[in-house]
Amino acid sequence: MLSSDPKKVQRICFANIEVENMNKLEVAKAHGAYAFLPTVLKDFDADKIIDEVKVSGLRGRGGAGFPTGLKWSFVPRNTGKPTYLLCNADEGEPGTFKDRDIMRFDPHLLIEGMIMAGFALGVKDAYIYIRGEFLHEYNVMCAAIDEAYAANLLGDNILGTDFSMNLMMHRGAGAYICGEETALIESLEGKSGRPRFKPPFPAVEGFYGCPTVVNNVETLATVPAILEHGGAWHAAIGRPNNTGCKIFSVSGNVNKPGNYEVPMGTSLKTLVEDYCGGLQHGTVPKVVIPGGSSTPWLTAEHYDVPLTYDDIMKAGSFLGSGAIIILDETADLVAVTRRLAHFYAHESCGQCTPCREGTGWLERVLTRVDAGNGTEADLVVLNDASKHMAGRTICALAEGAAAPILSMLKYFPDEVRAKLAEKSS
Amino acid sequence: MTVLYINDEEVTVPAGTSILEACRENNVEVPYFCYHPELSVAANCRMCLVEVEGWNKPAASCCTPVSEGMKVVTQSAGLEKDRSMMMEYLLIHHPLDCPVCDQGGACKLQDYAVEHGVGRGRYTEVKRLPSDKDLGPFVNTCMTRCIHCTRCVRFADEIAGTGDMGVLNRGDHMKIDGIVEDALASELSGNLGDICPVGALLDKPSHDVSRPWEMTRHKSTCTACPQGCDIVIESRADEVMRIRPLKGGVEPWICDRGRYVYDAFRSDKRILSPMLRVGDKLEKASWDDAIEKAVTMLKGKRVGIVFSPDWSVEGLAAIRLLHDIGLENPKVAFDLHRRDSRPFAFDEGLTMTTESMEQVDQVVILGSDLRQRFPILMQRLRKRANLGKPVTRIGAMHYRTNSEIANDALVRPRDWYAVIARAMDQLKVLGKTAAGMDEWMGKVEARHEAGKLLADALLADTCALLVGEEIRSHEDAAALIHGLDLLMRAAGHAEEGQDGRNLLPSGMNAQLLSAMFNGTRTAAGEVFAAAIAGELDTLLLIGSDPIGDGLFSRKAKEALAKVDLLQVGSISGDMVGLADIKLPAAAYSEIEGTFINMEGRVRVAENPLRSLGEGRPLWKVMMRLIQALGHDVPAVNLTEMREHVLTMAPDFTALKDIWFAGKAQEDFIPAQRNRKNVFLPNVAKMNAAKGLDVVGRYSMYKEGAWVRASKLLAEAGRIHALDDVIVHPDTLAEMKLQAGDLTIMSNVGAERFTVGTRTDVSPGVVFVSKRGTAGDISGETSVDLGGGQ
Ligand SMILES: Cc1cc2nc3c(=O)[nH]c(=O)nc-3n(C[C@H](O)[C@H](O)[C@H](O)COP(=O)(O)O)c2cc1C
Ligand code: SF4
Ligand code: SF4
Ligand code: SF4
Ligand code: FES
Repeated sequence: MLSSDPKKVQRICFANIEVENMNKLEVAKAHGAYAFLPTVLKDFDADKIIDEVKVSGLRGRGGAGFPTGLKWSFVPRNTGKPTYLLCNADEGEPGTFKDRDIMRFDPHLLIEGMIMAGFALGVKDAYIYIRGEFLHEYNVMCAAIDEAYAANLLGDNILGTDFSMNLMMHRGAGAYICGEETALIESLEGKSGRPRFKPPFPAVEGFYGCPTVVNNVETLATVPAILEHGGAWHAAIGRPNNTGCKIFSVSGNVNKPGNYEVPMGTSLKTLVEDYCGGLQHGTVPKVVIPGGSSTPWLTAEHYDVPLTYDDIMKAGSFLGSGAIIILDETADLVAVTRRLAHFYAHESCGQCTPCREGTGWLERVLTRVDAGNGTEADLVVLNDASKHMAGRTICALAEGAAAPILSMLKYFPDEVRAKLAEKSS
Repeated sequence: MTVLYINDEEVTVPAGTSILEACRENNVEVPYFCYHPELSVAANCRMCLVEVEGWNKPAASCCTPVSEGMKVVTQSAGLEKDRSMMMEYLLIHHPLDCPVCDQGGACKLQDYAVEHGVGRGRYTEVKRLPSDKDLGPFVNTCMTRCIHCTRCVRFADEIAGTGDMGVLNRGDHMKIDGIVEDALASELSGNLGDICPVGALLDKPSHDVSRPWEMTRHKSTCTACPQGCDIVIESRADEVMRIRPLKGGVEPWICDRGRYVYDAFRSDKRILSPMLRVGDKLEKASWDDAIEKAVTMLKGKRVGIVFSPDWSVEGLAAIRLLHDIGLENPKVAFDLHRRDSRPFAFDEGLTMTTESMEQVDQVVILGSDLRQRFPILMQRLRKRANLGKPVTRIGAMHYRTNSEIANDALVRPRDWYAVIARAMDQLKVLGKTAAGMDEWMGKVEARHEAGKLLADALLADTCALLVGEEIRSHEDAAALIHGLDLLMRAAGHAEEGQDGRNLLPSGMNAQLLSAMFNGTRTAAGEVFAAAIAGELDTLLLIGSDPIGDGLFSRKAKEALAKVDLLQVGSISGDMVGLADIKLPAAAYSEIEGTFINMEGRVRVAENPLRSLGEGRPLWKVMMRLIQALGHDVPAVNLTEMREHVLTMAPDFTALKDIWFAGKAQEDFIPAQRNRKNVFLPNVAKMNAAKGLDVVGRYSMYKEGAWVRASKLLAEAGRIHALDDVIVHPDTLAEMKLQAGDLTIMSNVGAERFTVGTRTDVSPGVVFVSKRGTAGDISGETSVDLGGGQ
């Protein structure tokens, strides 16, 4: 999926993505990996690091876009309990495949980011919770971690300093919900992955009840550049409040799907046409899912939207994980929605009433409608059953499950009706 | 404190309270399923949604803490739509079972469906059909009705501590399952039927026999153990259908023993009319004939009385009146579990409440199978352990518990002297001592390392001892308890307000009995010995079952072969066929009367069930006997009986306040403390100990005449059967013996039993299940083991 960048724009996480054997420590070092780490460990302290990250304006790349420096500053210090750093590498959101490339091509970037974050947060034990299906990436990460230990970049007294940190890999077992940070914590604790309600937030009571930071792979991989070049440097890239670069995983009806890292604020149209080789059919997309399958749809009228958290929110959706799915005129939206409904029904953890019962119900109704056995009343059911699970559950999965259906009903009710008509005619 | 507004009303609640609890405290109705005040918050049902001003979506009130100035709305068109949708989601797979479901009429789902639901669901797809589970004799399942609130799972994890309920699968395949073989492992399993908000888990014994609205409810006190839980007896006509914990009572749960004992009320062991022996048989008689005959057995005769401590306070006072007025120098005993009748430095009863046991820094269990004997107290200790507070235990077995025990040491009964002396050493080194401690220690040469655990715990700011049956039934109990008293004084845990000296009693009303019969009582064993020696003519058993319960069943059998037996009570126990006369006295569920539990809590029962048969309250039976014996009747009504109680126990002002000043039942009767008697270790006995020490093992499903008459509990007893005879494997190895059929030699004689081994018992101890094949031996203090010949 890796695609080269025709414009040579600034890149952060993907700066060295095309370098052969970048996963080997020697090669990574030759390209600057760990070069600035000694300075951080010797001359920086927790406050300075957190300040730099705050100044950088970095927002979490896992989906919610929460300011990373702020999240770190919520972690209480001197609690007498250990603080944990967990890297969320579960990458299960349909359409998203960016973290995978960071891990398989430049694992040391993530490790370095975790060492720096761990140093700032006083972490002794850090974990990478990696999607179970990513076996190759897991092996690459393990090998890189072994190399880092051997080079005293991990373990006791890192690079001769007082700072010691362990980094462990943990493979998930194939559940999408374990990408939700509190389900991830439960799963890592050895329980079944069911999200916890908040508060308390993980920053205060997370892994084994201890202060815990959960960050996405891309978020953590951005940290080394921020510390090396300064928060202000990062803040100058992109747009205010939407700083830096972002990797977009583009899929669907485009000619060159793949991962593209571009500065925030690049327009969707530019991304599609200049990077992704344009649309497969037509001049405008029919549906744009801008941030992974859980985000509400945009349509042709939003083709020009600048890719920032704020602009996409203004357009009615979320930037999410940056997984852009483009659908053109050839897409059967009822079938798409049915397939997504199946995904969410399968992945719901089952604890909240509306999500447990709603996702299954919706899937069954959509299956029936898609098969041409729907009635007009089903549209009302689809609307009610989606609307009342969104925002009324422990985690955001239910909201994500509702999004495609509500979008379809909002923008393309007639396509649904057309399927009903098939039956009645 | 936090000030917030609920539907525009200003309310103040402690910071950190959830919105739901703030609403409940202020009588604002918010619907909910998964919330339960005694369980952790799960926040999964989503029925408790409310609106908070400034928030863009409704909040689950059970898991949202209040904040200053928060404006909460609990009623709105939006919330109504949400609630009706929640009901629709919940009902899509729910069967239309209400007409045949026991929960109907007392079901949250049914109530909310009426209040918030729409008339007709829109779900037309396939329905889920989870299969039912077999959770044992007490819990019925109908899993299609389950709404996945996980209350049962949290109960099993957090309260029962057995974790045998769980959640399987995800999405709408999610299901509740029990990880059970024959039955749930918990002695609190009956609470599951109460805790399930719908009809998925229901009480099995009362399943399909009655509906909630047919029941009459009687507030009462469980007397199946000294915890004396507040209960509600639910009856239809005169038949008890079930027993439940009183809502708003002191403890939220009751144990299965107290809950399912009710089928004994109708067992064929009940004494329902006066009976007289005619030849070989007992025949029904009139009260007049029976009383007349009883007089011939009592008047001018040498009488031994053994009574049950579980009668009401008024009944016990009446026994004392019969003893004082009606009989000449009778021997009297009531504790079948006590060998040493000398007064204890601190007598039976707790100085603190079960609830406050959660707060003390250290709790030490000394020689008690607490989970079998006091399941509700054990549950409190479990809560405490969950809060990270340690429980230390010293005893003859690592008795199986559902709680974490921080420090656990094994000792033999004969080791207690050395344990206490070792702890005294340690306190003394730290300059903590009490008058008489040196003298006590001086009598004991040996030291046992378990004493270190005890001393370590004693050094905490606050420390509670729970002194159990292994010490209470010791032959030299008075000396041991005196030693413990010295320790507690030395460590500063004997002062009022933080007195940690708790002696676990074997029955109800211990505080009153100790005051009322102090100086008069003897050990039950002595009464039987006197009968055997020909020093008695008649044995008067009042509710006591010395063959079925306690340490003296062998002696009791022997005694009964020698003397006449007059039995007064509600239930025959194991005395079936032995009595010459039986007089029926009303059961605890059938009387107005007062009970004192081990905490000293007073409970006055008021709307009793109607007496089955011809039973009269015990006090009336006693008065009738006094009259028939030719004396003036000292009391003709309950008020006069209560006045007698106060004359016998003048310090018990709490009783006076409750009975006569109408005070709420919240004052405590203090347990007897600080007796002046000094009892030093009996050196001769201590040094003469040989062979293996015997510890009798008690099953909660088999102890007590009521419990044994219950078929329901018998089934639980069968499922949770205890090993008959067990020893530590090292003990056998040392004696060059092997597990299997071995000869046990004791005062009872030499008999062969199957002896098993377990490593969680103290070496040098033989554990004998009281109701097992070797039950007779459980009353011995030591035995020898021999090969299989
Ligand atoms: C259903 C669900 C699935 C999620 N899956 C992922 C995931 O696979 N990877 C990820 O980084 N974040 C995922 N998230 C978001 C995380 O909960 C969390 O916000 C994120 O890991 C925080 O990292 P960040 O602050 O660096 O973005 C998911 C959230 C939800 C509700
Ligand atoms: S919203 Fe769905 S996935 Fe999330 S916690 Fe609730 S039931 Fe589980
Ligand atoms: S069985 Fe009852 S208590 Fe348990 S989850 Fe189902 S509804 Fe809740
Ligand atoms: S704990 Fe004791 S008093 Fe309470 S219900 Fe059980 S047997 Fe009865
Ligand atoms: S009571 Fe709040 S979600 Fe169930």
